Formats: sequence, structure tokens, C-alpha cells
Amino acid sequence: MKIARFIAAFLFATSLLAQEVKVPDAEQFVGRPEGQPVSGAMLDQKTNETAGMLRCPVCQGMSVADSPSEMAVNMKHQVRELIARGYTQDQILRYFERSYGQFVLLKPKFQGVNTLVWILPILALIVGIIAIFSMMGKRAGGQPVDDAPPAEGAEGSDDPYLAEVRKLTGKQS
Amino acid sequence: MRRTEILIAGAVITAALVWILSAGLGKDPQHIDSPLIGKPAPDFALKQVGTGDTVGLAQFRGKPVVVNFWATWCRPCYEEHPVLVANAEMMKNQVQFVGVVFQDKEEKIQQFLNERGSAYPTLVDVGGKTAIAYGVGGVPETFFLNRDGKVVAKFEGPIDPEALQQNVRKAMAQ
Repeated sequence: MKIARFIAAFLFATSLLAQEVKVPDAEQFVGRPEGQPVSGAMLDQKTNETAGMLRCPVCQGMSVADSPSEMAVNMKHQVRELIARGYTQDQILRYFERSYGQFVLLKPKFQGVNTLVWILPILALIVGIIAIFSMMGKRAGGQPVDDAPPAEGAEGSDDPYLAEVRKLTGKQS
Repeated sequence: MRRTEILIAGAVITAALVWILSAGLGKDPQHIDSPLIGKPAPDFALKQVGTGDTVGLAQFRGKPVVVNFWATWCRPCYEEHPVLVANAEMMKNQVQFVGVVFQDKEEKIQQFLNERGSAYPTLVDVGGKTAIAYGVGGVPETFFLNRDGKVVAKFEGPIDPEALQQNVRKAMAQ
């Protein structure tokens, strides 16, 4: 009798379990929360900050924090829920990156081809600064730039054209 | 630094920037390469439209699964629905098809299925968490899972019979 009751209870429990709705959870992919649960104003602030780092996948260059689309709203709700549970910003970004790839990160990571995005502007700035200082140095050194007009009355010039002019006009150098 | 050297440096930097920017010109800005390919599919168990039963991925383990994300407000989903239904009926012993609907209302989904027919469970993703876990950017999107529950392919947009068969073969082979 006891065994029959136990089996009935077990079957009832398993039937309840079978009915349970289960959605994919962050814990399955990025482990347990590594931070402390957050609530109140801090939760709003952290949600906006993290959602602002995620790209809305159905919009053109908008963050999850700024987009009014239903997809972005759902993502923002999930960010909020994860922060409330104690997930860190790094864990949350990793969770979304696992599904959407680096596309979902508004700030590209410093790796692969993305490295050029970080390096090229700095390189361009350095080349620009060198070019400006190089030009300034030339001017300060009194050397005329290639296409500048020659100084008036340059007596010591060895320009054959000027020598010919002086010869014709009777002026000796 | 001479003027020619500065010009060469500027040209190299400009060429690199143009190359980076032009690499993305021919691409669909909404296309997302799925990082889930080769990884275990995110597990889910959701309510089935019509019956209210909970249907989960786990119960189909050992069989290739086609997971189709769609919605009644999505026009291309109307186009691919007959393709999915016909193939699900044709391959019902070899492959399990599952529809996951998000950002939608159950009455509308039920009406859609009543009018256009159904051959596999259609589940409701309330809150869109399942779609987010699969990296869905827009509907329709279809994921192909092998017998071990790993994602082997993803198809964006309304699927045609050729692409469906090709990806199903991939799921059955791996």
C-alpha cells in the first residue's frame, strides 16, 4: 500500500515537472552570478549602462537601451533580470555575445580585424602630428618650401636665369 | 619627412580604411553569423499553442530537429509555412519540426494555424527569451539541430524547399 502511494506521488510529481515551462537560462552558459543582487535606483542605472553597450539586432545602429522595438525591450528586461540576480556586466555581455556574436557589442573587442579599428585612427593621428611638426621645423629653420617665391633681391643666388638677367641689365652679382 | 612620404603614409591609411568599410558594403546589415553553430542548442520547454501542453527539446533527443522562429505579423513567414508543413509531413519519421512564435498573441497564432494547417508543435516564447538565446535577429529564422542536440546550421529569411532539404541532410549526417 505504501509502495502504491509512493508510486502515485512520484508519478504526480513527474507530471508536474513535465508541465513546467523552461526557457534558456544564463546560468547554463555563463555560470552562476559572480556579483551581488542589485535593486532600486542602482538596478535602473546598471540596466541602462549595460543595455547601452548592446546593439539592438533589429535596428540600425541603436542600442538596446535606446530602441523602442519589442526585441530590444525584451533584451533590456532580460538584462535587468540578470543584474537583479547578481550577474556582472561582463557575464551579461558574454551571455548575449554567445547568442549573437560580437555583432551585439556596440564597442568592438580589441582582437582580429577589429584591432585595425582601434589602431588606424591612432596611427593616422601620429602621422598627422609628425607631418605638422616636420613642416613647422622646416619653416622655423628658415628653409623656404619648394614652391615659395624666392626672396626679393637674393644677390648671392647662383640661379643661371637670374645671372643672365643681371648680365643683360648690367648688374653684376 | 618629405611630402611624398607623407602622401604615401596618408594613402596607405586611407586605403586600409576604405578596405575595412568596403568589406561590409555587400553584406546584409541584418545578417548575423550564428556563433551557435557546432555548439549545443539552448534547451527550452514551452507551451504548445492549442493544447497547452509543454513541449521541450529534450524529448526529441536522438532525432534531428528543425526549430523555426516565426510570427503571424511576419509576411515572409506566410510564404515559408507551406514548405515547412509539407516537409514535416514527408519526413515525420526522420526529423522533428518545432515552431517557436514570439512577440505574438496565441489567438492570432491559432487562427493562422487553423487557416493554413499544421504538422508539428507550435510553441509560444513569452518574453522572447528563447529567441534571444538563439540569437534571433528577425523572423523567420530556422535552426537545424543534429541528433545530439548541436546546432549545425542556421537559415535566415523564408526557407525554400532546396535550402530546407540541404540543411536537413546536414543535420542528419552530423
